[in-house]
Amino acid sequence: MDLNHHRVEQLLSAYVDGELTQAEARAVEEHLLDCGACRRAYEDLRATKALLGALPVAEPPAGWWSSLRAPLVPSRSRAGRGGRWLPLRGWRPAWALGALLLILALAAAPLVKGTMDRLHATEIGVDLYVREHALQMSAEPLVDRAYLGLVAGDADLVLVGESPRAGERRP
Amino acid sequence: MRPLLLRLLAAAAVVSGAGGAVLLPASGTSGIGAAARQVLEMALAAPRLIDYEGTKVITVLRNGRTETVTVAESHKRPDMMRLEYLSPEGVAGRIIVDNGRVAWHYEPRLNMAFKDDTLQRGLLGRDLTLLFRNYRVSVLGTDEVIGRQAYVIALDPKGPGVRRELWVDRATGTVLRSEERDPGRGVVLSSYFSRISFSLNLPEAYFRYRVPAGARVFTLRGTEDQSLSPAALARRVRFPVLIPPVLPEGYTFRGGGISRFGSLTSVYLRYSDGDNAISFFEAPAGSIGWPAFGNPVRVNGQPGRYIDLGYFRVLIWEQEGLRLTAVGTAPSETLLTVASQIAAGQEDGLVAEIASRTGGDPATIRHLRGEGMTFPEIVRTLVLSRHLGTDLPTAVRFVRGSLTVADLARELRMRPEVLKQVVQEASARAARMTPLVSPALAPSGAPR
Repeated sequence: MDLNHHRVEQLLSAYVDGELTQAEARAVEEHLLDCGACRRAYEDLRATKALLGALPVAEPPAGWWSSLRAPLVPSRSRAGRGGRWLPLRGWRPAWALGALLLILALAAAPLVKGTMDRLHATEIGVDLYVREHALQMSAEPLVDRAYLGLVAGDADLVLVGESPRAGERRP
Repeated sequence: MRPLLLRLLAAAAVVSGAGGAVLLPASGTSGIGAAARQVLEMALAAPRLIDYEGTKVITVLRNGRTETVTVAESHKRPDMMRLEYLSPEGVAGRIIVDNGRVAWHYEPRLNMAFKDDTLQRGLLGRDLTLLFRNYRVSVLGTDEVIGRQAYVIALDPKGPGVRRELWVDRATGTVLRSEERDPGRGVVLSSYFSRISFSLNLPEAYFRYRVPAGARVFTLRGTEDQSLSPAALARRVRFPVLIPPVLPEGYTFRGGGISRFGSLTSVYLRYSDGDNAISFFEAPAGSIGWPAFGNPVRVNGQPGRYIDLGYFRVLIWEQEGLRLTAVGTAPSETLLTVASQIAAGQEDGLVAEIASRTGGDPATIRHLRGEGMTFPEIVRTLVLSRHLGTDLPTAVRFVRGSLTVADLARELRMRPEVLKQVVQEASARAARMTPLVSPALAPSGAPR
């Protein structure tokens, strides 16, 4: 399986989580051997996920849960009178931890996305600007437009994650 | 086919086919130079007058080697173009269809279609003031290209830059062959038609694009509103916009805009000398990393990256929390000198120095900087305005090349030759007052 750079970027997260098929995982590994930007993205992702995964599952001190429930007993009696506004029966340590992880993941998402955007910009920055320059050069009266079309066309492909020419990689 | 343009040209100039010598035009404005201008104007008028289809061979430097590209090129009056790339294999089958407003690029190997900005923007542009000011246009003689008689003209830059030679078909004005020669590297781009046939009416449907079934379509937006000044751009983005303090002689600000791609927002400034352009892109340093290729360089002591793509050169550096990228065909030393001047970051000091040297108002100087003018242009504007007694906007238009000597002479009710003399004196005086003239960027003449 042959994956382009853009596609590998999309698959990296699933690769770190071990969610890819064998063929996909092998293709990602092959790409990582050749692509420094993706390797860095992979390391960043792995580090972020490892950070989240390594968060300690803190055991509450003995009596913490009973002390938490104690002030709520009157509420339960209010609920018994028809209030039912605080369904606490499902409130378990796993849920609390899950909520905490969710909050952390939400907080980390922009960071991960920002890193990925930045890495993508690194890969396409030169092509983006050369394409823009080529299009703007068409304002000059004597320039060869067939050549500008070639340059802009190559850059179009890089911007969507493809190689600029069939069977060719960026130098 | 009746050579209509030849008749138009013959009214002004007679070119000897045997010896290649150009006789002076009857109108008598300025001899050989005038004949060369007429050939050039004939070449620029051709797209409005004639349809053609042919096979073009382009040889260009690309990533350190020479590449030859073959393309079937069709043109329909006034500004429609269809390109079908035939070789090398990597681009074979690529199609670009441009109707003068939008260019569609289709890549058959991927079944992808891209909607791009037109490549024909300057095709019908007739304002050659800047080009004639910055290039010496001369007729080299006549030559034969694929069995057709052609005038050969050369455009030599007065400053550092690329020389262009054009073979212009005597009968139609179409450019049959062209060469661009870099002073340091020789010919960087050449193109010629190996076959061409002219027609008065290629079918319009040939220039209408239909997206193939199942193709993935991408719309890649170019720069928004390309006519903004640096001051206007600075109000629209959350980072400062840096303006080159000095550029190669003849380059002047021609437009700016905001380029967006994903989360990357960049400001774009375009400077042109009438034939070539240098583009500057500015973005927050944190929004884009360093490319993994190119050669490390120092820009005013700071790390930078120089990428020689062949025809285009790219220089990247960082300063004041910004990532700056310059793209152009200018020699690498020129790009480095310009970048170093920007990186020196002496804006306030230079404004004060120029105000002191010219007696100008610092606020006016800052305003002109916000319009994209370099410091030498500002000094010339202030000195000319004073010498000629014109208002500042008129002097700005003249210095930027949107007003010719003849136009200004008419406005001032002066004889053009007298005005030319005054302009030369004022320009020489301005050059002495300008603090920013490096050897590589030394002015080589006053505006004409």
